[in-house]
Amino acid sequence: MTKQPFGKDAWVEMFRVVGLDEAMMGRWHHEFETRWPAEHEKFLAWLGVPETDIGRIRSSARGTAPHP
Amino acid sequence: MTTALYTVGVLARSVGLTRSTLLYYDRIGLLPPSHRSATRYRLYGEDARVRLETIRTYRGVGLGITEIRALLGAHGGRTATILSARLDGLNHEIARLREQQRIIVQLLKNRTVLKRARALDKRKWVQILSAAGLDEEAMHRWHVEFEALAPESHQDFLESLGIPASEIATIRVWSRAHPSSQATEPSSPRRRRPTARSSRPAGGTR
Repeated sequence: MTKQPFGKDAWVEMFRVVGLDEAMMGRWHHEFETRWPAEHEKFLAWLGVPETDIGRIRSSARGTAPHP
Repeated sequence: MTTALYTVGVLARSVGLTRSTLLYYDRIGLLPPSHRSATRYRLYGEDARVRLETIRTYRGVGLGITEIRALLGAHGGRTATILSARLDGLNHEIARLREQQRIIVQLLKNRTVLKRARALDKRKWVQILSAAGLDEEAMHRWHVEFEALAPESHQDFLESLGIPASEIATIRVWSRAHPSSQATEPSSPRRRRPTARSSRPAGGTR
């Protein structure tokens, strides 16, 4: 990545714009975490999410039911 | 203690300083020679050597000549005050360096994390988006938004998914040429209006 023009907030907004609501984003994190945990972590790090937040997001993603 | 006498050169060598440093310390009155020989050579006694060791120690922790002079003439509480101030200074400097270190690590991570180790391939990425509930139409909107918001990152992200350059070019043209928001709302300008758009029924096209 040569630039960091947006971080987590912009990414979330982009997802909202295309129609993902909170539940869908939760499901997205859950799918990402349960299928490819290492890739999920790398992706969050790329977005510039601080390490402590990455841990929090991932553990909550592991607990999120896929189809609430 | 005053039996041994050192010349400038001998004393300088014994503590690993240069002769000119000792001459400078004499000139500013920080370390005058203990004696002068009959031919006016500077001669230093053991007490001067001990004082010079102390000066060197203080220099080693980053204290300036003024502070060293104050320390050498100080006792008890005053010494502690000067050293504490220096310690505070060092702590601030360390904190500043740690922050710089943290930022650099973060910058390097951002820069290389996807390039060094591909996060996902295209198939996995599409699977996750589908599992989250995005259909083809929504994925197209996502490309359009990505291209409009941060074209360079869109390019980088597609590269990180291992998509060939020619296909990336096609995707990006498609993202610019057929903005789905115009197709569904011909009158609305291509602007970033997340609240307006997300208020549309999200599942309307599915």
